[in-house]
Amino acid sequence: MEKVIDLTPVARPKTAQPWSKKSPKFLISAAAASIIPAAITLAFVGLAGMDFMAALIIVFLPIQVIAAALVGISIYGRRGILESLLVVATIFFSSFVFVLLGSVLWSVISNGAAAISPSFIFQNNYYIQPTTDLGYGGVGHAIVGSLLIVGLSTIITVPLGLATAVYLTETQGKSKGIIRTLLQAMAGLPSVVSGLFIYAMFIASGITTYAGWTGSLALIPLMLPTVARVTEESLRLVPAELRNGALALGAPAWRAFAQVTLPAAKSGIMTAVLLGVARVIGETAPLVLTTFAADRTNLNVFSGQMGSLPTYLFGYIAFGFDASIKRAWGAALVILIIVAILFISARLASRTRTKARK
Amino acid sequence: MSNLTYHLRAEDVNVWFGERHVLKDVNLAFPSNQVTALIGPSGCGKSTFIRTLNRMHELIPSAGFGGKVLLDEEDIYGDGVDPVKVRLKVGMVFQKPNPFPTMSIQENVLSGLKLSGRKNSNTEELVETSLRRASIWNEVKDRLNDPALSLSGGQQQRLCIARSLAMGPEVLLMDEPCSALDPGSTRRVEETILELAPEMTIVIVTHNMQQAQRVADQTAFFLSEDGNPGHVVEFGATEQVFEQPIDPRTNDYVNGHFG
Repeated sequence: MEKVIDLTPVARPKTAQPWSKKSPKFLISAAAASIIPAAITLAFVGLAGMDFMAALIIVFLPIQVIAAALVGISIYGRRGILESLLVVATIFFSSFVFVLLGSVLWSVISNGAAAISPSFIFQNNYYIQPTTDLGYGGVGHAIVGSLLIVGLSTIITVPLGLATAVYLTETQGKSKGIIRTLLQAMAGLPSVVSGLFIYAMFIASGITTYAGWTGSLALIPLMLPTVARVTEESLRLVPAELRNGALALGAPAWRAFAQVTLPAAKSGIMTAVLLGVARVIGETAPLVLTTFAADRTNLNVFSGQMGSLPTYLFGYIAFGFDASIKRAWGAALVILIIVAILFISARLASRTRTKARK
Repeated sequence: MSNLTYHLRAEDVNVWFGERHVLKDVNLAFPSNQVTALIGPSGCGKSTFIRTLNRMHELIPSAGFGGKVLLDEEDIYGDGVDPVKVRLKVGMVFQKPNPFPTMSIQENVLSGLKLSGRKNSNTEELVETSLRRASIWNEVKDRLNDPALSLSGGQQQRLCIARSLAMGPEVLLMDEPCSALDPGSTRRVEETILELAPEMTIVIVTHNMQQAQRVADQTAFFLSEDGNPGHVVEFGATEQVFEQPIDPRTNDYVNGHFG
């Protein structure tokens, strides 16, 4: 008798992942182990008036560890102890980091949001006193200044960083070790030293007065190590087979690099540039020493003092009035927003590329 | 064999990596428009040798070389010879398919032209003939603009062959071109080799003895014993090397007694 096999696809059943099914005993004990320690801790804080942080460490953590170990033993036997401890440690410490990051973001957003308005973003700071109400004046000049100063640095640093990375990955140069050590040392350079160096070179020596471009120069040593190292990593990830494939087709080394290696490393290099920008956009000390500050919008990066977001923030915190501190928070939020925009646009740019290629 | 012309000849080729001598006094002559297989156990230097034939070998920083490789009677290691020009005439297909991931199928075929800075007015025709010669045209003709990585491994390897063919090489070197492929794809690559053979000189490294017998006119057996440098034990017509080997070590190897 011929057997007919039905080959039409059927909808995926809900039970298609039998390995993720948990027994009721596990669910109940896991829920108990999560709720009871938290409840006891809250009781200590609420009823006995214990300090929250102290309760977290003295009461919550030990009880949670014991509870987790008990659940581990009851479900898996002895090997369950270490497993459940690992779970507790992972969750506890990662949520600690998460809370840390979240609280920074929250304080900037909640304090800064009050200052944000069209006038704050688009107007400059001319005629504004530290005590002036938030309805007037803003960080427009500082946004322009930050973008110009960091933009000029980026234009200079990216080719330098790329060249360094190419030297480290694509050539058989003899001084790679020294270059790498120098880059590491440069990454540890305090930003104020970089600013001081440029100040002594160009400003104290009388070559120029405070100007945007001196700030850009001071940011280069801070940005270069990040750009060079991240670019190096992404070039290193391009498989040697691709390079060899290009060379075997009769490509000169520079064409093999420009047309095969570079496109393959493109998204990594974009990340390198963005990390570099993010690294320096909040730098204050080098700019205070080199661009100083300004209340008017200055579009010429090659002449005259220039305002920037970090120096604006620093200045207004220093004034210490209510209104001025609000402006400082606003400037901090604007920096965060600019960094977020940069990161999101970089992600989108590299994603559209991969999507188009699917 | 006396009426054969030799397109490519290796004379006293020696190779070192650092201080280690890995290939000693290799003398091989590759007849024009025939297929020559290089066989031998792993580590015997056959892959290293094939790389000396288009100067890919020198990309390894510690590499050293002695001897001559004559392409049309001109030493490719001679003074002032540009390795880039050598590689334009001597194409290479690698063990692992390596299409360029950021390019489409069509762009991959044309990549050699772009990479060597050449112009070609009739690119459409070149794409079609190259893909046809690599026997992959029918599979990809409707999706030339798809990314190269959307192809299967066997198709990618034939695309790489097409990419080399688009450059019009006189010699094609293949370094274990089928070792990453399934039997079906292997068969198609072998068919491609046999179709190409009348037009160009082909040198193929292979671990697969049946493959050597199926595609090669000549076979050279490489061996490296007891840490000594690799060398050619036996070289001759494929049939003779497999059926009536002169050297007992060749006999042992082709009959599967070691390696």
